[in-house]
Amino acid sequence: MTGDGTFALAALLLHALAFLVLAVVAPLRRLGRPAAWFSILCAAGSLVSALLAWQRHAGDAMSRLVWEWLPAQGQTLATVGVLADAESTIMLTLVALVACLVQVYSLGYLSDEPAPSLGRYYAYQSLFAFSMMGLVLAPNFVQLFICWELVGLCSYLLIGFWYYKPEAARAAVKAFWITKAGDVGLLIGIVLLWRQSGTFDLTEMRVLVDNGALPLAGLSLITFCIYLGAVGKSAQFPLHVWLPDAMEGPTPVSALIHAATMVTAGVYLLLRTEWLFALTPDVLLIVAWVGAFTALLAASLACAQDDIKRVLAYSTVSQLGYMMTAIGAGFAAAGFFHLLTHGLFKALLFLGAGAVIHAVHGNDLPQMGGLARRMPQTTVVFLVGTLSLAGIPLFGGFLSKEEILGAVWAGGLTGPFVLLMMVAFLTAFYMFRVVFLAFFGTPPARDTHPHDPPMTMALPLWILAALSLGVGIYFAVAGPALPFGPAEHEFTSPDWLMPAAVGAAVGGILLAWLTYQRRAIDAATLASALGPIRHAALRRFWMDDLFEGVYGLGLLGFSRLIGWIDRYLVDGVLNVVSAWTVTSGDDLRTMQTGRAQDYVYGVALGLMILLLWVRWALA
Amino acid sequence: MGLQAYLTLAAVVFCIGFFGVITRRNTIGILLGIELMLNSVNINLVAFARFSGDVTGMVFTVFTICITVAEAALGLAIVILLFRVRRTVTADHLDLLKG
Amino acid sequence: MSGEVVAFWCLSAVLVGSALAVVLTKNLFHAVLWLALALTGTAGVFLLLDAEFLAAVQILLYAGGIVTIVVFAIVVTERLVGERISQTSRRIAGGAVVSIVLVSLIASAVMQRPLADVRPPMAEDLTREIGDTVPTRFVLPFELLALLMLAALMGAIYFARPED
Repeated sequence: MTGDGTFALAALLLHALAFLVLAVVAPLRRLGRPAAWFSILCAAGSLVSALLAWQRHAGDAMSRLVWEWLPAQGQTLATVGVLADAESTIMLTLVALVACLVQVYSLGYLSDEPAPSLGRYYAYQSLFAFSMMGLVLAPNFVQLFICWELVGLCSYLLIGFWYYKPEAARAAVKAFWITKAGDVGLLIGIVLLWRQSGTFDLTEMRVLVDNGALPLAGLSLITFCIYLGAVGKSAQFPLHVWLPDAMEGPTPVSALIHAATMVTAGVYLLLRTEWLFALTPDVLLIVAWVGAFTALLAASLACAQDDIKRVLAYSTVSQLGYMMTAIGAGFAAAGFFHLLTHGLFKALLFLGAGAVIHAVHGNDLPQMGGLARRMPQTTVVFLVGTLSLAGIPLFGGFLSKEEILGAVWAGGLTGPFVLLMMVAFLTAFYMFRVVFLAFFGTPPARDTHPHDPPMTMALPLWILAALSLGVGIYFAVAGPALPFGPAEHEFTSPDWLMPAAVGAAVGGILLAWLTYQRRAIDAATLASALGPIRHAALRRFWMDDLFEGVYGLGLLGFSRLIGWIDRYLVDGVLNVVSAWTVTSGDDLRTMQTGRAQDYVYGVALGLMILLLWVRWALA
Repeated sequence: MGLQAYLTLAAVVFCIGFFGVITRRNTIGILLGIELMLNSVNINLVAFARFSGDVTGMVFTVFTICITVAEAALGLAIVILLFRVRRTVTADHLDLLKG
Repeated sequence: MSGEVVAFWCLSAVLVGSALAVVLTKNLFHAVLWLALALTGTAGVFLLLDAEFLAAVQILLYAGGIVTIVVFAIVVTERLVGERISQTSRRIAGGAVVSIVLVSLIASAVMQRPLADVRPPMAEDLTREIGDTVPTRFVLPFELLALLMLAALMGAIYFARPED
């Protein structure tokens, strides 16, 4: 037990400070840019703290810094504080890094925004970073759940940042609703788990599990409920429908929340409770299959999108499926590794896409084209991100993807493995489709003159690109030894795996090149060859229709039923009662004759009752 | 004669006064009934005082008589005012509070 | 049969009879005169109970004061209305039933337990004792009573003030 959680706590509290100052000091918030700079300063301090915390918690070092909370009958029901170990601090560093870079980037991206609205944006950003770090460092399920909900709230607020756009407001509500559906499962799971184990604390629970003291009966249901929370948050099938719509928010928000951090919270949750899920292999199997299926579904959807951000959103869903599959195969560390590298290069891709959108003022791929000449810097960093995502050697995503494929194979899950190999091919294809359509090819006639983004936006891009590349080179040199986590889940990948995976990626790139660059294969022919699938993909595999149908028929029908009951049964009873009151009041009114002498009869009656009572009492 | 005889006499007078209060149409007649009822209460008080050997009841009778005088003066003033405003002496017509 | 018993019965007869006359007479003026008789009878009962001072007060205030006021009020209202006020009753049967039930209930409550028949000895001069007690032991009610009288006086004047 070396090191302590002070630095981790500092990283957490700096964002809380930024949020509180921006929230409370309204004049500062309304100033806009000063508020942004204050928030960025705090984020930078937080990044330094997080790095120091990571450095202190390498290896097996773990520290807990907790305060009592919710005291109940002599014992503490829950604590609040930080649990810093290798996993949480490295995740903390990722969150701090991306949050800091995104905040800097937003300064350029949102430069046209009015000052008060910019201040509001930074307040939300700080709140999000604080909540996410609280989630990452949570020592128990109670704090985890609270922060889980808080990041959901921030996601809602930031998706709906341009709340005056109807589709943004709608997307925000949709995201909130659908993730909430999963959160209900999580809450039930947490409470059931508490009943089973008597504690909310992760460390205590882990001791219970290691001693075999946790009863296994009904545990599958509990872990499945917890997994439901992850399904909602990490956009797994069938709750993935909110993530593409969430792209209505500002692009930096998508980079931070809907690519690098919040959506990976589900994966992180499963990683944190990996020892618990290990007790329920049946649920793990579900996790793996759903993950692989989600990956394939989202990848095929990504091929049919024309909106650059939606391509990236489906790509995120697909990659989250990758991570989930690894966890389902029992090798959570591999999934976590991919989570980290994915956090870097997907944030890079989103920010790069943001730069493009900023330049051409539109999301649609056909509007772009030929941007490589006008935006060389952006093209380079976007290519780095794309190659990372495609899993080309020496780039960030290569080894982590390799790890996942190896883990799934080692886990004996042949079916998901095949699906994931197809996804690897599709990933390369749809990403290079974006690259060729946006940056190469013939530019459409346009009035604007796109150019590389300003310094505040370019700097985060270059940092992320350097990190994506650096991570890849580092691991290529140092070997795939993971710098964190328990090394117990060792496995060896078969020799043919790496060539096969790289081959799939290169095949995807080649197909994209032939189709969209050389035009050797006509895109329309390709589309018609895959007619039904393409058609289905354009309709998003009817998932949204299904949800709408469920909503329209189920929920609205139920609401109408309730409305009818309320209108006719409840109100009917009330109306009858009120009518009785009125008529009986009308009848009783005649008792009030207004003549004093009639009232004296009442006095006489009272006196008689009194006398009778006296007789009875004295008898 | 014992205490019971005096109390019974007072009860009879009280109920006669009560009868007057609930049957008279004229407001002044009602007031006369009230005077009778108060009188019977005074008889009670004095009888109890005498048969318990305590002078308190008699002192209270003095007070009651004074209050009765005040009540009578005020009641009659109200009657006169009613005459002026409503131009009627009949209690039946005074039913502004009719529900 | 002692003189006290005879006196009690005679006084009771006078009292009940005049009270009945008060509530049954048609002529309002006669009713007031019957009331005066009833009040005087009450004063006699007070005398039987050794309360000479109260008897005197009864006659002075009631028979002298209230009756005068009532007569005055009758005269004034008759002059205002401009016609003779006849005194009719209504629902006599109902009122009689209620009153009889009431009196039988009260009487039965009185008869339920044997009460004192013997008069304990009291001070020779009860008037002096009342006079001693009022301004000492009952000084607070006495002063409150003064306040009440003042309020009643002002109220009566307010009600009876000339019309604007």
